[in-house]
Amino acid sequence: MAALRTVLYLFVYPGILFLFVYSTFCEWFDRKVYARLQNRMGPTHTGRFGLLQPIADFFKLMSKEDVVPEAADKGFFNALPAFGLAVVSTAALLLPVWNFDLAAPGWTSFQGDIIVMLYLLSLPTLILFLAAWSSTNLFSTIGGARVLTMLFGYEVPLFLAVLSPAVLAGSWRLAEIAAFYQAKPLLLLVNILGFLVAVVAVQAKLERCPFDIPDAETEIVGGTFTEYSGKKLALFRLAFDIEMVVASGLLAAVFLGGFPGGPLLGFVWFVLKTLFIIFLLSLIRALTSRIRIDQVISLSWKVLAPLAIVQLLASILLKGFMS
Amino acid sequence: MRIAAFLPELLRHLFKKPATVDYPFKKLEVPPDFRGTPYLNPEMCIVCKACERDCPAEAIEITDVNPAEKRFRMVIHNDRCIHCAQCVDSCPTTPKAMQMDSLFEIATDDRHKLKRDWVYVRAVIKPKAAAPAAAPVAEPKA
Amino acid sequence: MSFEIPIGPQHPALKEPISLRMTVEGEVITGVDIRLGYNHRGVEKVAEEKNWTQNIYLTERICGICSHSHATCFVQGVEKLMELAPPKRGLYIRYLVSELERIHSHLLWLGVAGHEAGFDSFFMYTWRDREIVMDLLEMISGNRVHYAINTIGGVRRDLDEGQRAKILEGVATLRKRSEYYFRIGANEPSFVARIAGVGMLSKEQAIALCATGPVAKASGVGRDVRKEDPYAVYDELDFAVCTADTCDVLGRVVVRVMELLESYKMIEQMVRNLPAGDIACKAPRKAKPGETVSRYEAPRGENIHYIKSNGSDKPERLKVRAPTLGNYPATVEMLRGCFIADIPLIFAAIDPCICCAERAVTLVDARNGAEAIVRMSELRRRALERAPKAPLKGNAVWPL
Repeated sequence: MAALRTVLYLFVYPGILFLFVYSTFCEWFDRKVYARLQNRMGPTHTGRFGLLQPIADFFKLMSKEDVVPEAADKGFFNALPAFGLAVVSTAALLLPVWNFDLAAPGWTSFQGDIIVMLYLLSLPTLILFLAAWSSTNLFSTIGGARVLTMLFGYEVPLFLAVLSPAVLAGSWRLAEIAAFYQAKPLLLLVNILGFLVAVVAVQAKLERCPFDIPDAETEIVGGTFTEYSGKKLALFRLAFDIEMVVASGLLAAVFLGGFPGGPLLGFVWFVLKTLFIIFLLSLIRALTSRIRIDQVISLSWKVLAPLAIVQLLASILLKGFMS
Repeated sequence: MRIAAFLPELLRHLFKKPATVDYPFKKLEVPPDFRGTPYLNPEMCIVCKACERDCPAEAIEITDVNPAEKRFRMVIHNDRCIHCAQCVDSCPTTPKAMQMDSLFEIATDDRHKLKRDWVYVRAVIKPKAAAPAAAPVAEPKA
Repeated sequence: MSFEIPIGPQHPALKEPISLRMTVEGEVITGVDIRLGYNHRGVEKVAEEKNWTQNIYLTERICGICSHSHATCFVQGVEKLMELAPPKRGLYIRYLVSELERIHSHLLWLGVAGHEAGFDSFFMYTWRDREIVMDLLEMISGNRVHYAINTIGGVRRDLDEGQRAKILEGVATLRKRSEYYFRIGANEPSFVARIAGVGMLSKEQAIALCATGPVAKASGVGRDVRKEDPYAVYDELDFAVCTADTCDVLGRVVVRVMELLESYKMIEQMVRNLPAGDIACKAPRKAKPGETVSRYEAPRGENIHYIKSNGSDKPERLKVRAPTLGNYPATVEMLRGCFIADIPLIFAAIDPCICCAERAVTLVDARNGAEAIVRMSELRRRALERAPKAPLKGNAVWPL
């Protein structure tokens, strides 16, 4: 019975099948909002309102020919998309939606799981770099170098911003942080600055405009994805969609007060809050143009990191006053 | 320099109708003088061959001119036509024998299907011929 | 470590095939090698086998965006050869379409510049507004590109009252939108950070390298054929030549938007003062023998056509010097010292119309004036013969 439950947990809900359906729904939402902001229609014809468009794209990619360049490092090249998918799906299991009862949370909620989740979210960047490196294509190499350069920029502000609410709540466990803010919702307002920094840093982590430098279509063709095609590209794109869901789930759990109310209501809150964050991410994507890699570094270290430090200081001081 | 100078405009667009047309489910209107594909009004044609001479793409072919039986054959190669309407301008008759219609959705998978063939019997062949003797009988073979 | 990046012939940043081989060190470009010829269609040869009327349509199809500029430049030259004086109304309509084409080309360029910078929302908005101009052109001429409104001796179609009212209405809407884009383009921080200070071309370099059009105007060189050599109606219109002195891509954006605003002024003047009369005069089939040079201010710069006639109804020689060809040497200079990330923007800032610039090469022997039209294979053979003995050029590094 427990084995069956674990299998359902890993493969159906909240496992791969649920993540597949939900992340394609989030991609549809992102594309529709982006299109409407630009006065266009967005996906319209596949399924009602175009809801099946990302799923159709996934299956189309799966059915295309898979070309592996001769000079590529075949082991890494073939295995990396699956690794990426595995990493982000594991990170998704740690979100405090599926841990219904704080007293008996199961094996996915423990002290320090916010750190584990941030670590698991940094791994896709390394995987992207290895994918670029093993492609041995000129454009991929430049893309890979840019991925790592960006990592030096946004990682520190992201960590500082996400950890400040944890400092205020006095715990390193996502479920407890969420419960703390559900008990005292006014304290959410203290974290507004950190929220803004985190949204910008998450946009950089997900490599969307204005930070889609490693994947800059008009400059280096495909960047890290230049040599990927067919099934591998489909898995990479799915991995990045799931990463978007996970990152917005993390931000919603930490900054927007989590997902209260038990299994069903918590799931509804999860959908609403992640869609709100994805709306903000789409808005930023439509609003700005791509900036250069050196400008990303100077923006991160001159603007984002100081603001994140200010937020952390504010959290520490407030915690001192409260206790 | 304002941060997010574009933001009000973007948010306003969320509530506007999209500017794109849902073609091909909704058709587009073209203005009245749109240059579509050329076609022939055989009753007016005097077979002066000005259209054939002036076509930049060699899309009009007039052959088998038979003054005795008063027949001629014109093939309009719509796959070569560049839709410039020079044939309409070069045509000396009033009302014009070569005219343009408004068809623009003529794409097909075999370019030979785009060629239109006319074999006509007509009344007047030479510009200075006598007044029309018999009534013109036209047999279009498309 | 220095290695070569090939941009093109197939690349998402380029709308047409051209090969730019950049030698880079890290992210900084140290040298550029431009190779043309991927889009060569033999237009000048075909022009020798078609008569004057057919050649209008042939020259129009040298380019899709600046189609009217090539057709008009050609027709101006032929009218000079045939010694025709087209009626005023015909000339007004012809240059009205010219200014509408300038508007559509600059709006297209603004969108493309936004897209190259990653600013897709700007791209969508400018192209949506460009639809207003395309619909106006469709109403006037019957087609959205390749307007074919010229004929030798004037124009083919007339404007009636309803069309004139619609043109004025469309221009009023566009003027409001263009002023809005001007404010955005100058104020959106991420966009300005991309385009300010990149692609520098000083005034002396612009003059020495024969840059033309908005590229030269952004460096302070205010050369405009419409003011220096006013042809047809331009001496009766009131407009200014727009220059900027920042010498970078931001200057080119500013110059093009200011040219848009000047074009709106000109269109309103032309529509309001449209003289009555005929729209064309009768043209002979054959032209007198002679040669002529015709200049025209295309949206991209100065367009030059050289036409030689030998008395028959077909030209003896047609030579086209499109503005983009004149801007290529300046492009090489602009790209030196910039980042890779700036390549699409700098290249897009000269508004490249690569198919305009594909022409044959004529070698003239300086000693005895003998001319030979040379094929590419012959040039390559000569270059290979010379290469082992010639000194190594600047930064050309070939790792293979």
